Amino acid sequence: MIDFEEFSLENGLKVIYHEDKTTPMAVVNLIYDVGARDEDEDRTGFAHLFEHLMFGGSKNIENFDAPLQMAGGECNAFTNNDITNYYDIIPADNIETAFWLESDRMLELAFTPKSLEVQRNVVVEEFKQRYLNQPYGDVWLLLRPLIYQKHPYKWPTIGKKIEHIEQATMQDVKDFFYKHYGPQNATLVVGGNISLNVVKDLAEKWFGDIPARPKPKRNLSPEPPQSEARSLEVERQVPSDAIYIAFRMGSRLSKEHYSGDLLSDILGRGKSSRLYQTLVTEKKMFSSVSAYISAGWEDGLIVVSGHLLKGVSLNDAEKEIWKVLETVCKSKIDDRELTKVKNKFKTSKVFSEQSLMNRVMNIAMFDKMGKLDKINDELAEYDTVSSQSLIDFATRVIKPSNSSTLKIKAKL
Amino acid sequence: MNRLIAPKFKQAQSLDIVFPEKNVADNGVEIYWLKEVKDESVKIDIEWNAGTKFQKKKLVAGFTNKLLLSGFASKTAQQIAEEIDFFGGYTNLELDKDHSTVNLYGLTENIESIFDLFSTAFLNVDFPESELRKEVEISKSNFNIDVEKVKVLCRRTFNQNLYGKNSAYGQLAVLDDFKQLNQSDLIEFYQNFYSTKPVIFITGNVDPEFIEKIKKWALNFNNEPHVLEKQNFEQHKGVLTIEKPDAIQSAIRIGRLMFDKNHPDYFSFQLLNTILGGYFGSRLMANIREDKGYTYGIGSGLAVLQDAAYFFVSTEVGKDVREETIDEVFNEFDILKKELVNDDELQKVKNYTLGEFLRQADGPLSQMEIFKNIYFNKLSRTYYQDYIRAIHTTTSEDLKRLAEKYLLKEAMLQVVAG
Repeated sequence: MIDFEEFSLENGLKVIYHEDKTTPMAVVNLIYDVGARDEDEDRTGFAHLFEHLMFGGSKNIENFDAPLQMAGGECNAFTNNDITNYYDIIPADNIETAFWLESDRMLELAFTPKSLEVQRNVVVEEFKQRYLNQPYGDVWLLLRPLIYQKHPYKWPTIGKKIEHIEQATMQDVKDFFYKHYGPQNATLVVGGNISLNVVKDLAEKWFGDIPARPKPKRNLSPEPPQSEARSLEVERQVPSDAIYIAFRMGSRLSKEHYSGDLLSDILGRGKSSRLYQTLVTEKKMFSSVSAYISAGWEDGLIVVSGHLLKGVSLNDAEKEIWKVLETVCKSKIDDRELTKVKNKFKTSKVFSEQSLMNRVMNIAMFDKMGKLDKINDELAEYDTVSSQSLIDFATRVIKPSNSSTLKIKAKL
Repeated sequence: MNRLIAPKFKQAQSLDIVFPEKNVADNGVEIYWLKEVKDESVKIDIEWNAGTKFQKKKLVAGFTNKLLLSGFASKTAQQIAEEIDFFGGYTNLELDKDHSTVNLYGLTENIESIFDLFSTAFLNVDFPESELRKEVEISKSNFNIDVEKVKVLCRRTFNQNLYGKNSAYGQLAVLDDFKQLNQSDLIEFYQNFYSTKPVIFITGNVDPEFIEKIKKWALNFNNEPHVLEKQNFEQHKGVLTIEKPDAIQSAIRIGRLMFDKNHPDYFSFQLLNTILGGYFGSRLMANIREDKGYTYGIGSGLAVLQDAAYFFVSTEVGKDVREETIDEVFNEFDILKKELVNDDELQKVKNYTLGEFLRQADGPLSQMEIFKNIYFNKLSRTYYQDYIRAIHTTTSEDLKRLAEKYLLKEAMLQVVAG
């Protein structure tokens, strides 16, 4: 059970408070309603590059990190296709430092040319380190445009290509800031060993005078339903062949999310899952298999992937995956198997909510999804999934005409 | 309110550590129980002295650990996994150079069932040949993927040359070693090492009867833990380069053998390390990432194992700037040797470190990790108080002296891969 209280400032900033008296720490989390989905197609990777620039100094504070570290705090941030999230973890006594820092960079960034130049280089190195210089690192660079033809989910958060990052200008940075980083586009969540009154006072003191900026309208082209099987095969310098099959499904906000999550567990979570049992243990065709959901807020995916053992052909591997997938649609999922994945979910949820940071971030996410009032209903949602509803879901989603397949052939 | 002035802040003065309750089985096995947990989560860690340093043949310790739940006559690995999963349990098998660990995760309502399933599987395991062959193929495949990564290539060569290839810590498995593995190696290793007394850590609000049950279970282990004779390390000094023509980045690792956590310089050296490369605001990050943009990240650290400890700097940079990066690392060493750290930076790093202690001690699982650190490194119960006191009293002169003493270019092993 996650408790919280919410209030708003006059400039439109929403604030949510979450108490935890058992920790000496506090977390200040600011989520902005902007992600890679809000980028221009010929300027991709910008939301993420911008996240780096948020640490390059603000109007009145030359450096973000140093004063936070001086107060014993630590911070980080991440960008995904849907949102950008910033957080500071700091001894509760020193929480005002985080308010000061976060509010100043919401007020206005320093926009220094040096920061832009350096962070462009840093992000280019990040692109190389994580996406180009790793075996299988470019999988999502290839898979996304195969699955999405209209919707901005067709590019990954890092961007389509390095050139887009290299071309970012200071004007782009300023425009992006004033468009997306206003109080009305953010939610501030404060959790930890601190009282509601203190949070109210500090929020008013530091964020109250930031001018309201209009909330940008989002008008994205929805991805039309898929009606044909798609596939792509590439050769790469990798040690073993690999295959990825993605199926379109409902978004994180839809009922399908829960069925998709449980079905992916039945298929690919752990050694007792169906794909592992058949393809790794019995047939010995794969060295690893997995199944997971993307949980995108606009559109979802259920993805099945695996690495092939030497001597197995990609076509045979693909056929065998499909055989396992077809059994889910055709035969019954018994109660024991369903209870198993529900129990696993319950355990992981209890462990995950031990962390103050995770609870605070969850509140921020649920608020931006527009379902803060449902944050404590997740277990019940999973519980309503029945064996029949899983089979219906699988029949709807797991079919060739709804699939995009990427095969990576080893050149080594 | 003036936005140009930072709000007032306090320096963390103390760290609240809850020590687990010690229980001892009749044969002397120690069970540490941290019951101050406000939710239903339970974690059980069982640790044996059965790490890679004890193996006579490469990979044996790793595969024995990996296959601890691989089945026996009347139950397959699959069935064991399914039954533990059914109760919402998670198992994790971990191995390092010193220890082999089993972690069990579950909720209070099911932890006893999860433990019973684990116990039956663990005590009866016969390492079926088919499971071994399967895991060997999987590991070979993962191994081949791993050695494509410059970071992995770099770390492998670094480890081998840090300890010396004739030491137990310096052994390095190659693809051919996988072929040599036999079922009988695993059975022998299991009989020899997993019959010894483990240490057990339980973090969770379980019934006292469950602890009694674990005390009885501990009677399965009656041999004294193995202890290795002191190892002789021969660290290479100087540059080793592994060329990987298709790589677009190079991984760099620079380091040397160091002292352990009981050494009088340990606390202050940690502070020096933090300034150099131990946090986001470090000098290496400021120089190599934030000023030059050569890398996504660079860091340094002090790693402490049972029989050795080492200091290291590590990063991945564009191939064209690897020489410049190495020069800059040594340049930062020199600055620390020549110039006193100013008060502002020293204060920042002290405060950051104290805050980091609070973060690391937050929550019951973290508290147990803190205790394990004390336990396995044979530290005093006042270790963290001593540490905090040392941080408060370390001066910039102390740091300069330590830099002069330890950050010596000629003492460093430098490995570049890519």
